[in-house]
Amino acid sequence: MLITFDGTFDGFLSVVYAVYYEKLEPVSIQIDGTEQLSLADLRRIETDSEKSARVFNAVRTKISPEAALRVYYAFLSSAENRFLSILKYIQLGFSVGHMVDSRLHESFVRDVHDFYKNVGREAHLLHGFCRFAETQQGVFYCPVTPKNDVLVLLAEHFVERLMNQAWVIHDKRRKKAAIYDGKSYVVAEVPAGAEFSYADGELETQELWVQFFNALAITERKNKKLQRQLLPFHFRGNMTEFV
Amino acid sequence: MDMMDKLKILADAAKYDVACTSSGSNRAAKRGALGNAVACGICHSFTADGRCVSLLKVLLTNKCIYDCQYCGNRRSNDVPRAEFTPDEVAELTIRFYQRNYIEGLFLSSAIIQSPDYTMELLAATLRTVRETYHFNGYIHVKTIPGANPLLIRQAGLLADRVSVNIELPSRESLARLAPEKTRQNILAPMRAIRENIAQSKNELSLYRAARNEPKFAPAGQSTQLIVGATPESDSKIVTLAEGLYGKFKLKRVFYSAYIPAGDSRLPTVAPPLLREHRLYQADWLLRFYGYKSGELFSSEDENLSLDMDPKCHWAVNNLHLFPVEISTADYLTLLRVPGIGQISAQKIVAARRVGKLDFEDLRKMRVVLKRAKYFITCNGKAYDKFPLLPETIAPRLTDSSRIDNYTQLTLAQ
Ligand code: SF4
Repeated sequence: MLITFDGTFDGFLSVVYAVYYEKLEPVSIQIDGTEQLSLADLRRIETDSEKSARVFNAVRTKISPEAALRVYYAFLSSAENRFLSILKYIQLGFSVGHMVDSRLHESFVRDVHDFYKNVGREAHLLHGFCRFAETQQGVFYCPVTPKNDVLVLLAEHFVERLMNQAWVIHDKRRKKAAIYDGKSYVVAEVPAGAEFSYADGELETQELWVQFFNALAITERKNKKLQRQLLPFHFRGNMTEFV
Repeated sequence: MDMMDKLKILADAAKYDVACTSSGSNRAAKRGALGNAVACGICHSFTADGRCVSLLKVLLTNKCIYDCQYCGNRRSNDVPRAEFTPDEVAELTIRFYQRNYIEGLFLSSAIIQSPDYTMELLAATLRTVRETYHFNGYIHVKTIPGANPLLIRQAGLLADRVSVNIELPSRESLARLAPEKTRQNILAPMRAIRENIAQSKNELSLYRAARNEPKFAPAGQSTQLIVGATPESDSKIVTLAEGLYGKFKLKRVFYSAYIPAGDSRLPTVAPPLLREHRLYQADWLLRFYGYKSGELFSSEDENLSLDMDPKCHWAVNNLHLFPVEISTADYLTLLRVPGIGQISAQKIVAARRVGKLDFEDLRKMRVVLKRAKYFITCNGKAYDKFPLLPETIAPRLTDSSRIDNYTQLTLAQ
């Protein structure tokens, strides 16, 4: 059986609910509209936020709060097989409890751990690598192109850190943005071609930063390979000191 | 002089100080103030030499009345000089922080007029940053040897971390190369900082309710040692570090391979990066793996091996303690197996509660067996019949990674 859902986290947890109560045995779980042609029967699961809340709670209490976090992070991953691995992880967790995280010889447990780590790592790196620029309207604009869907994780970080300024974090790859007005943020779709111009003094600040950054390198210790390992090229397109 | 030139001079003059980490302080954001501090530390960029950029690291001024021979800011050196005002530092910090360029400020200074005068300027700058500009992010301040403890206390109440650089590992070297500084002047503020931190902790537990009392340097104290400018052995340096962690309760000791600053009394060879790397490895073993400095050296060998990391070196010298049995060895014993780090040891301890582990299971759990396999047994079985003798095992443990991989960062991560 092939299951499809709307691509939201609630939708995915609703799939877990249906699989559990209807004893379904999916061979694949995909997002509506992206499913591959297949000979298996197709089943579309409706998103139901009541059911998803019940599943999430069960993961927290029957497995562990850490497992719930792993499940959420893994869901944000861009890995092909993430949905099925998370499903199996939750199923095993419901039968063995928090010990599921010790079953490292099961490939899907390792997968979920890896997805969690990858997503966490990318979000952590971007906490540092995000660059904001002040626009004429006084809003700080930050473009990102993450591999995993980490927008919400970034927004949660910057709501704390840059609490007193309005900002927009724009995921250009997924064409959506987290928009913060100084009080709370929303995630919204962004139409292509939105234009803005820099505030006075913005370019000067950027130049000061580049000046500072360039002054830091110690030529006797130059090591581009290490720099590349720690700061891979795909991040640099959005970073003031590299563009 | 405009900001651009000042920044170039004063960032350049500060860059040899390696203490870039911003970890160890957790402070929630608050309304009306800018920023927070997170305990894990965040790198905002990486320089062309692969070092983490996390703080706006500048000197207040590089106009120095002292003449330390290992330092580019020394009085007798002919370099351009500049000086920031407290407002300039504060404004720059805020502008960089709002754009997420940095995690906070690292402020230190050359000695202008006198140690007290300089320390006062540093404290005044921190006050401007914190109180006038409401900056709530991370601040590390370097205190000035010989300054009045009261001034140090003022600065420490506004900062997350305070450091005093020891610079040179022995009294003799200090007398030769930094004649105006004395060991006493360096250790006295260290002692004062330790007491302030301890007191701050005490006050905290006594008056839990007084939540808003400022803490003295909540991320602790650190220092830096220059390696390779003077003849001290690694054994001397590591033992000194162990004492600093123990007696002075330091959070970090940083090692910095000496880069020639153009004085004929000092060696002009390439910076000893591999040696610096080995010292960081040894430091790591002290702090997280339960080793004592005495275990890492012998009377014939006062220096760390350059061919082999200190943990492998220790294992080769202690083969009688191996192999260890994976299903029963305790956590600290597992940690002493070459190739098994904290994460692998934790995984093993967790997984063996569920079932027996063989070599294939270890491989699946991504425990790297390349070195570990010689030193362990799984349920009594060895990996192969390889004899555990120093001369056969040592060549298999030398690390082939080249010099360009050696920096503190590979460890600091
Ligand atoms: S006192 Fe500090 S800045 Fe001045 S010469 Fe000595 S090490 Fe350099």
